[in-house]
Amino acid sequence: MTSNGTPILQLDGVTKVFHQGDIEVRALRGLDLAVNQGEFVALWGPSGSGKTTALNLIGALDSPTEGSVKLEGRELSKLSRRELSAMRRDRIGFVFQAYNLIPVLTAYENAESVMALQGVPPKERRDRVMKLLADVGLGGMEHRRPHELSGGQQQRVAIARAIASNPAVVLADEPTANVDSATAEKLLDIMAKLNAEQGVTFVFSTHDPRVMRYAKRLVGLVDGAVDTDIEKAQGELDPEMVALGG
Amino acid sequence: MIILKMAWRNVWRNSRRSSITIAAMTLALFVELLYAGMVAGLVYGMEEDATAYELGDVQVFSEGYLTKPSLYDAVEDDEAIVSRLREAGFRATGRLYSGGLGAAGELSSGVALVGIDPEGDAATMELHAAIGEGEWLDAADPKGIVIGRGLARTLALGLGDELIVLGQASDGSVANEVYKVRGILMSVAAGLDRGGVLLTEGEFRELMVFPTGSHKIFVRKPVEQPLDLARDEIAALVGARDGVSVKTWKEVSPFLAQYIDSVAGVIVVVYLIVYLAVGILILNAMLMAVFERIREFGVLKAIGYGPGQVLGMMVAEGMLQAVVATALGVTLALPVGWYLQEVGVNVGTLGGMQMAGMTMPPVWNAYYTLETTRVPVIMLFVIVLGAVIYPAVKAAWISPVEAMHHR
Ligand SMILES: Nc1ncnc2c1ncn2[C@@H]1O[C@H](COP(=O)(O)OP(=O)(O)OP(=O)(O)O)[C@@H](O)[C@H]1O
Ligand SMILES: [Mg+2]
Repeated sequence: MTSNGTPILQLDGVTKVFHQGDIEVRALRGLDLAVNQGEFVALWGPSGSGKTTALNLIGALDSPTEGSVKLEGRELSKLSRRELSAMRRDRIGFVFQAYNLIPVLTAYENAESVMALQGVPPKERRDRVMKLLADVGLGGMEHRRPHELSGGQQQRVAIARAIASNPAVVLADEPTANVDSATAEKLLDIMAKLNAEQGVTFVFSTHDPRVMRYAKRLVGLVDGAVDTDIEKAQGELDPEMVALGG
Repeated sequence: MIILKMAWRNVWRNSRRSSITIAAMTLALFVELLYAGMVAGLVYGMEEDATAYELGDVQVFSEGYLTKPSLYDAVEDDEAIVSRLREAGFRATGRLYSGGLGAAGELSSGVALVGIDPEGDAATMELHAAIGEGEWLDAADPKGIVIGRGLARTLALGLGDELIVLGQASDGSVANEVYKVRGILMSVAAGLDRGGVLLTEGEFRELMVFPTGSHKIFVRKPVEQPLDLARDEIAALVGARDGVSVKTWKEVSPFLAQYIDSVAGVIVVVYLIVYLAVGILILNAMLMAVFERIREFGVLKAIGYGPGQVLGMMVAEGMLQAVVATALGVTLALPVGWYLQEVGVNVGTLGGMQMAGMTMPPVWNAYYTLETTRVPVIMLFVIVLGAVIYPAVKAAWISPVEAMHHR
């Protein structure tokens, strides 16, 4: 764990129980996690280990059964619906696995949409979005609609949108699952660069060891709790990981 | 801004479905606009008929006259009242009434004698314009009378024929005179049609030995003045006095007024039926739109759109379609409505038919005011809002997690 002040993200004893008819599914069983400003964290683990559930709780999309989730020191369960909406808009950037974009908006408008909600002045929006789209390698494609973009290009727009609103943390749930590995590496390059240059905090989930190589911290989940938590140098693949997935 | 932009593009996303929805809204609005104009025309015509020939807008009469009409029950200072009303800008005229018997050759019939000031009446009421054959009354021709069409038929009278009128004069003597038919009315009102005998005021007074007073003073108000206000103003002009009533035609003939109102009420029922059908169509289209886009609503909610913003977007989608439909519907209805108002529909054999004492005109004209056009448009928006609200609420309160699990 890096050590620059209080964590921007803190989960303590978080459990999440889903009810499917009579069956109880314990997706998280006492998850503890703290993430500091500027970290680049990968949640990994087998299917069903609770990665998506954890990201949903962190992203204020869902609430835990027990335990507490704090974002920038604010306890999410104490916030009203309205405050949660504002929290998602202003403090969190989301990149989902697929279908991230609003189909009726162009790449530019998608990237701009959260800022427009925030009430950022148009000129500032424009400058920021144009720069971000160029940064993610989409210069010249601003006016394309999502269906005119490849899956990888769509994910880049989603990353631009997530960053544009200046969030405290960007949450990405298997952002590379629907793209080929070359594209996946490009997306990771972009995220790593934004992390290094702009200090944007990233937390993403993945199955893919090639993706994990980019992470500076690997949090392994098993059965809804943290199993392993290792810090490593970016670009280096942990020997343990190679054994597991490579 | 971005919400309106999304709403507008979403409308055209499934352009076939939206086109069908808009076409249905347009058609409904078009039908409602024409229908409203035609019904307004009917109601307006009925009120016109009621007021222009027989009732006036407001009447001044002796208190007991309404329940028990009597030759002796007249407003005495009629001339003073009429001139005061005219000075105040109203049109006003007095009429005199009595019953009698009319005979021509072997035939006879009960008649309703009406004493009329030919010029004052022509300046106030429209009866002078309802002459089917011959001419209106003329003070210079005191023995010339105008009779109802039905009466002319009953007594087999034509222009220039003689009619003997018998009655009881105010002094108890027998009133008895021979007149010449100078005009025959069109069918305007049942009573006048069947037994009306119109005489000049002077001749009436002579025949009935009735030198002063009028049984009824009829007042017409300016079109834009509300009826009740006109009555109050007229009452103030007439002045408070015992035994004189000032009443609107609706108060004088509540049954007729109610009947006309009930015709207007039919508008609302038909509106509701037509719009309900359109409402269901819109509801279905919007539900489909919401269902197809559940994942998208999840994304919107996740990236920070509040329920109000999603609701606003969905409502805007419905409203934008209604705006397009209004533009189309009004544009289409304009020339047709204009035609119906100016030229009208020839109702053929229905013309002249009697309905609750009213006579159907041979040509049925629409009547458009701001009100007639505004109501169908407002109703369209109300229905669209009603149909959109449920799907919109569904979309707005969707849980982002569940929405993104969808599909
Ligand atoms: N909405 C839900 N209703 C019921 N059970 C759920 C729901 N969401 C997740 N679960 C269950 O919770 C457990 C954890 O799911 P989760 O999606 O968090 O796993 P994951 O680590 O993201 O898996 P994957 O790698 O396959 O995406 C699983 O057993 C899953 O079936
Ligand atoms: Mg998952």
